[in-house]
Amino acid sequence: MLDTSIAWSRRAFCTLLLGTAMIGCKPKEDWRLIDVEHMYPQLDFQMVNARTGERVTAQDYLGKIVVLFFGYTFCPEICPTTLLTLTSVLEEQKELQSEVVVLFVTVDPDRDTEEALKQYVSSFSPNVIPLTGTPNELAVLARHYRVAYTINPGPQPEDYTVDHTATVFIFARDGRLRLLAPYGTGNEDFGHDLMLLAANLG
Amino acid sequence: MSERAKNALGLGVVGRDAFIFGTIVAIGLIEAVVVARYPGAMPLWMPYEFSWGVYLACAVTVACYVSGIHRIPSSARPSALRKTAFFIGVGLIYVSMQTWLDYAAQHMFFIHRFQHLLLHHTGPFLIALSNPGDMIWRGLPGPIREIFGHRLLRKITDILQQPVFASFLFVALIYLWPIPSVHFWAMLDPWLYTVMNWSVTLDGILFWALILDPRPKPLARLSYGARLISVAAVMFPQMLLGAIVAFAERDIYPVYDICGRILPMTGLQDQTYAGLILWVPSSMMSVVAAIFILNFIRIHEEAVAERSDAKIFNA
Repeated sequence: MLDTSIAWSRRAFCTLLLGTAMIGCKPKEDWRLIDVEHMYPQLDFQMVNARTGERVTAQDYLGKIVVLFFGYTFCPEICPTTLLTLTSVLEEQKELQSEVVVLFVTVDPDRDTEEALKQYVSSFSPNVIPLTGTPNELAVLARHYRVAYTINPGPQPEDYTVDHTATVFIFARDGRLRLLAPYGTGNEDFGHDLMLLAANLG
Repeated sequence: MSERAKNALGLGVVGRDAFIFGTIVAIGLIEAVVVARYPGAMPLWMPYEFSWGVYLACAVTVACYVSGIHRIPSSARPSALRKTAFFIGVGLIYVSMQTWLDYAAQHMFFIHRFQHLLLHHTGPFLIALSNPGDMIWRGLPGPIREIFGHRLLRKITDILQQPVFASFLFVALIYLWPIPSVHFWAMLDPWLYTVMNWSVTLDGILFWALILDPRPKPLARLSYGARLISVAAVMFPQMLLGAIVAFAERDIYPVYDICGRILPMTGLQDQTYAGLILWVPSSMMSVVAAIFILNFIRIHEEAVAERSDAKIFNA
């Protein structure tokens, strides 16, 4: 009985030692953004690509690093700033242009028609793809990643703003949500982590 | 009663339990499918994210409670007030985790603190006040009763309800989850978020059940005096934490910027309101509990006096 328990203790200790060694051997990923690996479900959606007018799904972007951002074309500050930052990152790091796709999901599908979205994203990188969909399709995607969006009524019925989560979600090539970039993340940090992901570390 | 009749009755009870739990699961399935398919059309009272854990825990507890009430003589059944306290208590826990409130709590710090006020204080407080243990126990199906009656589980409950440890744990959880670095990951990681909410809920039920037992010691685990000390002991640390958060001069919870606030409010305003919720209503629950304990003492002393009067009269 004593022998058995000693044997078990020895095995448990060796497993612990081996596990620690394996964790120790794992290459250190020096992320500058927030690492959220294994916390959220795979990228999954069905929406309309407003550039082409075609229905697209998450499977269409497997193999690419997906940068997901929620916003709207009437957004006074957050959306244009973030999309400009991402555009400059893609211009600075040319090698990322074939690797990264930026999905800009509208949280204001009533005002953001396909034509309006198409025109809006023409000011940014060609890698920016505007997505729109029904309120349900939008809600499904938003709830996967706990994204908030609320309409704030203005003086006129059509003159409203939409408060929305300003965080950028970055997915690895296999559709896993890997990183979060809070609003205000600079070019260098985006570039650094996108390069790491592109180098297959994520 | 003949053996045959007993068997027939046993089968009837099993059949009824199966029907009740089957209905609960069927309703849950419908709710889960509707929430998954039409999230954009959900009213505020429907789940933001359907959770089988929360749904089953609340629905099964209510079903067992109702079933248990029907299995005891009508003279021993709880009063309407106690039943109301139980249903509101369970309802508050359900609403906190399965409606728009949960969504809002993920995006506003002060709503998160309000959610925890319901999960750790008000909901469990009302459940404990209704003293539902006996009813739920009687309503539990046999096999589940065996699991809950397991020696190990009883031992764990005994440890968690050890008076000093229970008070320490109650305050420790209030301090643990708002630690900025812990809170950051608790709000970002859905699994940790679930652990956080359940830990405060279960701890709240255990703690308030210890405090709000109307019986005197030794029937209850704690004397009335020790309970008064316990509620005072948990009150002051909450006030201190509430004041620290309310008077902080910078936003120490940036995670809500990452999640995205749903109300037009700065981080500092959000934090100040959250601190006030931590400070005032959470501490007030201790005062309310103390009033109940004083009332238990009054009722107990009156009963003792009545008994001694009766003895003198009989003698």
